[in-house]
Amino acid sequence: MKRRLGAVALAAALALSACSNDPYPDADASRAIFYNVFDDPPKTLDPQIAYSVVDHSVIGNVYDTLLQYHYLKRPYTLMPGLLEEIPRAEPQPDGRVAYRLRLRPDLRFQEDPCFELSSPGSRTRDVTASDVAFAFARIGDPAVGSPVLETLVKISGMREFGEKLVKRRTDDASFAALRIDRQYAEIGGIAGVQVASPSELVLVLDEPYPQIRFWLAMPFTTPVPWEAVAWYDGRDGHELFAEHPVGTGPFRLTQYEKRSRIVMERDPSWYGARHPGAPGTVYPTDGEPGDVAEGYLDPARVGKPLPLLERIEFRREKEDIPAFTKFLQGYYDLSGIPQESFDRMVHEGALSPEMSAQGMRLAKAVGADIYYIGFNMDDPVVGAPAGERGRKLRQAMSLVADTAEFQRLFTNGRGIPAQSPLPPGIFGYDPDYRNPYRKVDPARAAELLAEAGYPGGIDSKTGQPLRLTFDTPATDTRSLLTFQFWVDEWRRLGIDVQIAATSYNQFQDKVRRGAFQVFQFGWVADYPDPENFLFLLWSGMARTKNGGPNTANFEDPRYDALFDQMKARDDDPERLRLIDEMREILERDCPWIPLFHREGFALYQAWVAPPKPVGMAFAVDKYRQVDPALRAKLRAAWNRPIRWPAYALAAVTVAVVLPGIATWRRERA
Amino acid sequence: MLAYLVRRLAWGIVTVLGVLLFLFLLFFMLATPDDIARKAVGEKAPQAVLDQWKLNHGYDKPRIWNPEAPGDTMLAEHFRRMLTFDFGNSDADDTPIADRLLGGAGPSLAFTLPLFVSGLVLGISLSLFVAFFRDTYIDRVGTVIAVLAMSVSTLLYIIGVQFLLGKLLRWFPISGFDYSPEVMVRFLALPVIVGLVSGIGSDMRFYRTVFVEESSRDYVRTARAKGCGEGRIMGRHVLRNSLIPILTNVVVTIPFLFTGSLLLESFFGIPGLGSITVDAINANDFATLRVVVYIDSLLFVAGQIATDFSYTLADPRVRLG
Repeated sequence: MKRRLGAVALAAALALSACSNDPYPDADASRAIFYNVFDDPPKTLDPQIAYSVVDHSVIGNVYDTLLQYHYLKRPYTLMPGLLEEIPRAEPQPDGRVAYRLRLRPDLRFQEDPCFELSSPGSRTRDVTASDVAFAFARIGDPAVGSPVLETLVKISGMREFGEKLVKRRTDDASFAALRIDRQYAEIGGIAGVQVASPSELVLVLDEPYPQIRFWLAMPFTTPVPWEAVAWYDGRDGHELFAEHPVGTGPFRLTQYEKRSRIVMERDPSWYGARHPGAPGTVYPTDGEPGDVAEGYLDPARVGKPLPLLERIEFRREKEDIPAFTKFLQGYYDLSGIPQESFDRMVHEGALSPEMSAQGMRLAKAVGADIYYIGFNMDDPVVGAPAGERGRKLRQAMSLVADTAEFQRLFTNGRGIPAQSPLPPGIFGYDPDYRNPYRKVDPARAAELLAEAGYPGGIDSKTGQPLRLTFDTPATDTRSLLTFQFWVDEWRRLGIDVQIAATSYNQFQDKVRRGAFQVFQFGWVADYPDPENFLFLLWSGMARTKNGGPNTANFEDPRYDALFDQMKARDDDPERLRLIDEMREILERDCPWIPLFHREGFALYQAWVAPPKPVGMAFAVDKYRQVDPALRAKLRAAWNRPIRWPAYALAAVTVAVVLPGIATWRRERA
Repeated sequence: MLAYLVRRLAWGIVTVLGVLLFLFLLFFMLATPDDIARKAVGEKAPQAVLDQWKLNHGYDKPRIWNPEAPGDTMLAEHFRRMLTFDFGNSDADDTPIADRLLGGAGPSLAFTLPLFVSGLVLGISLSLFVAFFRDTYIDRVGTVIAVLAMSVSTLLYIIGVQFLLGKLLRWFPISGFDYSPEVMVRFLALPVIVGLVSGIGSDMRFYRTVFVEESSRDYVRTARAKGCGEGRIMGRHVLRNSLIPILTNVVVTIPFLFTGSLLLESFFGIPGLGSITVDAINANDFATLRVVVYIDSLLFVAGQIATDFSYTLADPRVRLG
């Protein structure tokens, strides 16, 4: 009996000594792996469809884009990616515009069994202009469901291509059964996407659209091998193409357990590894003033071949607190700050001394976005039909919307109060500009309300109280609380605003029908150009009339004319002047109450080389660097298990049970 | 026996069909096909993409009644797919649902199986132990601990155990999962401990009552009078004769080992079937959700029938009919 008890105690002691809170295999401790988290799994890894941040965090590493952004330069600066140079607009005699896209020589797809389809025994092949044309064809194919089709219909023949494709598939079952690349070829491809040679593609647009260059820096237009789309069709045990990317990027996707982890390994056959020194294949040697002081131009990184990591590992964390705890234990390299822990981590905008002592550092990034309250300009009370009354009502409501207080209550003070639609980092943003209706001035607001004919919130004509609805696209408690904040501000002015909370789709339906008055929305930039913000108020994009993203239905002929001039210009003083004039129109007419631009606070560990904050979703993982030796040392120091409570618990159990057994045996004896 | 089986199966089928109908009606009372499509294609996608998605996934059909083609409705398609076990693809990401469920069963089993076995062994051993020492302070201490254990919410255990054993004492990772056995053991420790602690109280109370009642029967007194040892009486006679209530408690849960636990899998980051279910709810993924509910209801019916049959094995006096 004693021997058995001894064996159990020994086994328990051994098990306890093997205890560890390390979530990774021991063998990984010395490797240059970057550990990060994701919440919701990616929806798709199909570059022509993927639109969410988490989708792009994988796709951006597996697929190189035709153009790319300079890692350090701000405002965001384009540089060549898969293309040899940034294409220039070539105006055509018929008013159309052509761009020549020249691919770098010796580009290759990542190794994959799908290339058996085109060449038996082969595991890869060169990237050609036809692969870029195939990507454009997939965007134009309605069955693919690319979310950017409507934007890229400016490419000549894009819409006709889709219509022809749908018609042939409906009319001819044998056509619909053809391999996808043959279907595209048989109907002649897209007229405005012409393969001039294996390395050159000509893109023809129906109208000038300089922003096309930004779309070339997004994964939507990255070349895709037709073999991968045909092979990974979800049949005969093959995966789906949306789950199995075959790209040209610095990392290969090696494990895709999207409900628990995503692993990408450095691809030794990447273009950059074969052609060191090409743009985007070594760490940049120049940046902005201040980058040296911030450590972004550390000699340990500058000029080094990319990527600087061996592997990127994303682990899924559905809850904030466990994820943050693991970060504090050293098991993640980068982390946001949960609201509950914010005050412990950050004091007056800087990292707390306790965290600094652990070597952690704080990175802040202002998002290329805008959050705003909008008015339905078609509405007879708050909109344009109310004329001067409506304008003064909107201005009055803007003058009591206290963004600073909102941020204090809901965002831990994070965010830049917005004065216009344009966020910092975008051409046309003026840090010194102050919108006269974006300060808090309840007295002036009450005056304006009276001038609008609603003194104290009572309609002077009818004697009835002014009632408005605040139409919101969310029904969860937290969102409702934030909406209630604005409602309370307006009620203090005497305006009775009721929240009409519905699901996102019901809200969209109300917006389509024009049955809404006041709403709150946000916009995150697709690309760093003022056009991508100012088009949100262009009448051609009016939601109720044209189904575009101008949800406020704002229409102003002068604004539209200025927008048309501004969108086709390069960044020059004249463009700045046009933007200033548009801003004045928005200031006076007040179709929006610009609220804030989000500010992300991220913590990173002592062993991570300082990452330059980016406010947009483009891939930067190839520039990251970690020091595994320092990480292993600090992790070991932070995570020594405390074992004595286990021994104490065992002792207490024995102390309680043994006397009982002894007593019982004595009584039985 | 055969008649009994047929009757139980017939009721089982009615139950499952009813579950399928309720699921359809409840789901579409709360969500529209637009909601499902919007979740799948993202908020920025234009209406045309939304419409194309609905067309590709069959959500463009009338929901319940189509006067032109009565069989061409979402409801009819729902029943046809489920009854032929043609589960199709997920609404959230188009992956085959059958593959996803098979992939999720492994992680679920990895923690439900050790939890089930250790819970059963620990529950029965501790109950036998306290029943053996009935009316001593060991019994009373055991009862107090069991009542305390069953009074606390599982959520509190999760947070408490993560804080105490994961964060403060650093014995195990707070959450996560890994397929390599070396690391998987570390990850499974906390969910198994939480499962054990939250379930042990009620198990102990139940089994102890059964054992105490059984050990006061005449045959136990006879065995004792014949000089049979206490350990042998508890281990062979009392345990064997208490099997029917234990089986009632246990057999019905066996099929659900595959389906995991919604709460534990979510909080501990185990990518099992419970986690898939929670994801499907959050993503408005009707296609996956209905399959999970369908399989759960089938397993429930199977568990009920298996429990009835296990009685006949445990006690030859029981006859089904």
